[in-house]
Amino acid sequence: MARTPFRVEVLTPEGEVFNEEVEMVSTHTSVGSVGILANHQPMLAMLDPTELRIHRAEGEVLSFAQGEGFLQVGASHALLLVDEVRTPQSLDAADLRERVRAAQDRVTQAQEGSEEHRSARREERRYGAWLKLLEGAGGH
Amino acid sequence: MAQKEVKGRIASVKNIQKITRAMEMVAAARLRKAEQRIEELRPYASAIRRMTRQAAEAAQGIPRLPILAPRETEQTVGILLFTGDRGLAGAFNSQIVRAGIRAGADYRAQGKKVRYYAAGRRGVSSLRFRNQEPAGAYEGFTDRPTYADARAIAAELMVAYVDGDVDRVEVFYNRYVSPLVQVVTRETLLPLNQASIMEDGEGADAGQAAAGAGQAVSHNGHRALTEYEPDPADILERLVPSYVEISIFRSLLESTSSEHGARMTAMRNASENAGELIKDLTLQANRERQAAITQEIMEVVSGAESLV
Repeated sequence: MARTPFRVEVLTPEGEVFNEEVEMVSTHTSVGSVGILANHQPMLAMLDPTELRIHRAEGEVLSFAQGEGFLQVGASHALLLVDEVRTPQSLDAADLRERVRAAQDRVTQAQEGSEEHRSARREERRYGAWLKLLEGAGGH
Repeated sequence: MAQKEVKGRIASVKNIQKITRAMEMVAAARLRKAEQRIEELRPYASAIRRMTRQAAEAAQGIPRLPILAPRETEQTVGILLFTGDRGLAGAFNSQIVRAGIRAGADYRAQGKKVRYYAAGRRGVSSLRFRNQEPAGAYEGFTDRPTYADARAIAAELMVAYVDGDVDRVEVFYNRYVSPLVQVVTRETLLPLNQASIMEDGEGADAGQAAAGAGQAVSHNGHRALTEYEPDPADILERLVPSYVEISIFRSLLESTSSEHGARMTAMRNASENAGELIKDLTLQANRERQAAITQEIMEVVSGAESLV
């Protein structure tokens, strides 16, 4: 059975990435994985780096690499403000591995509790999540 | 002989003119794209503003984040210069470097330390030339900066501020007005101005902001139903730093537009100068050709006369 469609908008600082009526969005907030359907309770949440999946219709799923951002759910729409959205095709595993490694180096060199430490951890999480997306997709 | 030389010069000036015309056209095309990108940032920036207002209302204020707190005593000032990777753009690069160096000298005269940061190869090399090794050098993207570039710069500066390496950060960039006019702009980036977070934004944003405020009133009844994941205060802790990122991204885009505008104008002037030079040289070539012909006729005539 087809689900009720609702409007989903994905906005980045470099412009709109997506704006259509869809059936479901699945992503990751700082609290955990969420799947948003139409008529969801109003919500404001923080988005963490992960694979953003937009279920356009039965069996038609778009996949993006999502950076950090914010999710606002209203009565009949969801707005995702994301600092960076990339298509999996535009990602390069070797480059991501290098970025994860560089971030890990920064983490070990930084003092625990410093802003540098926190900042490096966030980088590590972002590129680690994207690498996982890429390697997971390669396994199919 | 002189004739040949002048012809050679005309040919080389014409070649230069071809290049400057091409550069002007390339700069014009890139300028259009850069202006468009400033436009594309707007919806995101105002959505961040709206969310911040909503979260701040729910949290009953903005939490005391380290990037919002001014230092009691400022010992070290960070100065971030936005320049371009390439030259041939009139005063575009030099006016930023000059303003930044002057501000740094003022701070040093007050007994403060200065740490330079620079975006754009030109700024980095100018600082090095003056023996001011930048603490952060960001190169290779000023033609087409991405938000990820802005994020990297913002992260480094916020780390420096929060961890106490700098007590204040100022930015210098060329604000784009028109291809003829770019204004050197100096702004304080950190500590972030708390009032600027809640204000409705300037000019074009004002109408939208008012509409947003109206919406907030009409939705008042449902406010209690909104679910926050995590707490609104925690969400603000990430929303507020995005102002720093957006601010740097906007400066990068303004600077890029200014660079292309300045280069367009510089190249147009160069093409016009080349045109005038070609006109002068052509005149000279014609004059010399005429002199040579006259000379030859005189030789023929005097030769003929001697035979009579």
